[in-house]
Amino acid sequence: MHDSRRLALFHCWVAFAVFLPAVLLGAWQMLMRSPLPAPLDDSAAYYASVTLHGTAMAYVVTTFFIMGFGYAVAATSLGRPISGMAAAWVGFAICLLGTVMAVVAILSGQASVLYTFYPPLLASAWYYGGAFLLIAGSMIWVALMIYNMAAWKRENPGRPVPLAMFAITATAILWAWAAAGVLLELGGILLPRAFGWSDLIDAGLGRTMFSVTLHAIVYFWLMPAYVAFYTLVPQAAGGRLYSDTMGRLTFIMFLLFSLPVGMHHLFGDPEYGSGFKFLQSFLTFLVALPTLLTVFSICASLEIAGRVRGGRGLLGWIPALPWDEPMILAVGLSLVMLGLGGFGGLINMSYAMNSMIHNTAWVTAHFHLIFGGAVVIMYFAIAYEMWPRITGKPLRSKQLARVQLWLWFWGMMITTIPWHIAGLMGQPRRVSTFDYSDPLIAPMGPLVIISAIGGLILLISAVLLIVILIRSHFGERAVEVPLRYALAVNPPARVPPSLNGFALWNAILLVLMLVAYGYPIGQFFFLKKHSVPAVEVTAQSSPMGRR
Amino acid sequence: MARDRGPFKLYNRWPSIGWLSAAALVSVSFVLGFVVLARYQQDGPTLDAWTAICRAIGITADTGPAGEPQPPLRTPTRIAWTSATLAQIASGSEQNGAYVALNCGACHGERGVSPSTLIPTLAGMDATVIYKQLDDYRSGKRLWGVMNGIATALTVQDSADVATYFAGRQDGLPPIVGEGLPQSGRSLRQSDPTIRLIFAGDPGRGVPPCAACHGPGAHKLGAPALQGQHAAYIERQLTAFAQGMRKNDINEQMRTIAAQLTQDERHAVAVYYGAEGGAVRRAER
Repeated sequence: MHDSRRLALFHCWVAFAVFLPAVLLGAWQMLMRSPLPAPLDDSAAYYASVTLHGTAMAYVVTTFFIMGFGYAVAATSLGRPISGMAAAWVGFAICLLGTVMAVVAILSGQASVLYTFYPPLLASAWYYGGAFLLIAGSMIWVALMIYNMAAWKRENPGRPVPLAMFAITATAILWAWAAAGVLLELGGILLPRAFGWSDLIDAGLGRTMFSVTLHAIVYFWLMPAYVAFYTLVPQAAGGRLYSDTMGRLTFIMFLLFSLPVGMHHLFGDPEYGSGFKFLQSFLTFLVALPTLLTVFSICASLEIAGRVRGGRGLLGWIPALPWDEPMILAVGLSLVMLGLGGFGGLINMSYAMNSMIHNTAWVTAHFHLIFGGAVVIMYFAIAYEMWPRITGKPLRSKQLARVQLWLWFWGMMITTIPWHIAGLMGQPRRVSTFDYSDPLIAPMGPLVIISAIGGLILLISAVLLIVILIRSHFGERAVEVPLRYALAVNPPARVPPSLNGFALWNAILLVLMLVAYGYPIGQFFFLKKHSVPAVEVTAQSSPMGRR
Repeated sequence: MARDRGPFKLYNRWPSIGWLSAAALVSVSFVLGFVVLARYQQDGPTLDAWTAICRAIGITADTGPAGEPQPPLRTPTRIAWTSATLAQIASGSEQNGAYVALNCGACHGERGVSPSTLIPTLAGMDATVIYKQLDDYRSGKRLWGVMNGIATALTVQDSADVATYFAGRQDGLPPIVGEGLPQSGRSLRQSDPTIRLIFAGDPGRGVPPCAACHGPGAHKLGAPALQGQHAAYIERQLTAFAQGMRKNDINEQMRTIAAQLTQDERHAVAVYYGAEGGAVRRAER
């Protein structure tokens, strides 16, 4: 047990150690975009910073945190040490090596291509190699999650896999499917070009492959929050989970509806017919099902807890909830941000409405609200919940934790709401400086300043998070409290095999992926050979000629 | 629960629910996306079903040859900025370049600083620019009797060498300094029309800012830095582009832009950049 804990702790520490500087970069970028003076006012530094911020937040923080959370869940929910500890540490080392490679490449200015790569932009092979190692290394975690669940099922025939383990395995499988896109793009297109084995780059194919990853990765990030919603929140509230089956269905639907939908990021790309874009837009909307199912389940579970605690009347259960628990406060704040961000998402995923906001600051504001807000605040709550369990030391100051959560919530609201509006006014994304003296752009100035203030609040909150975790880590040792998961109102004695494993759903997903992506990817191999010369971001230093 | 085994046994409850709902979703979205909605266009007639399906797939239903005659393909240059080209230029030897450059001094001046206002200064010019122009002269994509003759006599490696040699000479064109634009005139509301044209362009006519490619403050691969070049030479080249006499700009950008400018504007831009005018130096101060 001790080793599993240390494994989880190491992963989480890497995640949070990278998180803090990445937030600092984000706050600086906000200042840089605003009319206010920013230190180091330089466009090249801005794009390097955006790349580093994106790579750190999207690949490093999330992957390490989710792996750590997965190991903790596997060890605690199955009630036994993880099998394959050696492999897990090897995976950790590979991911860490990849992270270092990527970060060094970005810091040396050789990889300002943003974390989504954007071929035909071309970065240093060190960056692509680092990203490849980080993502490929996490496949060891995927294999271990599946292996541990399968081993438990073999030894406990007929018994339902605990919901937390079922959900984290769904997360692992989702990530394996999602990562296939980016790994194929890196290994098949970008790395060969970066090594100089080919002269041209198939930008269309590369972007299509990445779209396989691009939306599913968001659900990969989201899943720990949902695992917490279903298994930790009802427990922290002192109640029970409304329905175990609903939880299983939710995670199965997330697996199905997060993958054949990535092309809604490519509505503006000319390579595909309108039919496939509509098909994937349509499937994207189905994610509303598990989302609304979850909102219903969580509210029902919380109502059970509130009534157990003495809440009366139609809404009396709400004030009766233990709001001083970080987990309960976080879920409340998270659902507010999820609601707002979700409505924004409906616009992004609509084939027609998307054209209003495509490539504007609205999109960046949207994913910051829904990922940086609704999801990351749950990461904090999970960390506060797990820390005492894996370190054996109590959380130092729940009050400070609540302050940190509130700061993060307000910081994110203040940052993203004006950011959305600036996007609606037409402010493009991925731009370092704006000429605010221009009458067309001037009205966006105050909005961006408000966003920059929000960025500062987020930075304070991030510092506070690290302070709380370090203080708890070095606090006095207390009695050990195991991580407990919520019991369902009617705990399942048996569940149908289809809801206890993923064979059926992987088969259905394979068919959906072939339908949604078979032709759009296949066409590049026989109809559209659109290779173009790469635009080397690294070129500025060397082959520009001598002067 | 024995009735519920195997993902492909449709008589089981969950597999049948899963497969049937997946099939229903795919069917509905296919019918909507490929047949029903694909028929309608915002500004065009409603399409027949076959054309609509082809449109939805992303191919054209019309498989016959295009009706209009296609103009013959004309390439403006043989140079493409692939890494092979850049590697070729980077391999240039300055030593051999100095030997080749003995042919150039008579017109372009000793060490590449041209004494004549109609002949460009080469010292300090980007090696890629010199290399491309030599290749264009060699292939007849750019026409100037003397240069066509000289370039034909040079090998590809000679061109790279001499380009490297001139790029390395001092005292010619000033080096491009810094990334940022000069504070003066980065906005469309700049009062001096020439400075506005150079640093902000003229969106109304589709003219991008000169400085975005030719400096000061920015640089595009293959575009010469103009600061310090002879004004008369710049103006003559602009006129040649405008009249279609010179057409070795890869994307036809210089022909398009120069034709949009009036004669006075071409003159003013040339004087602003030119070695004689010194306006750029004044603006930077």
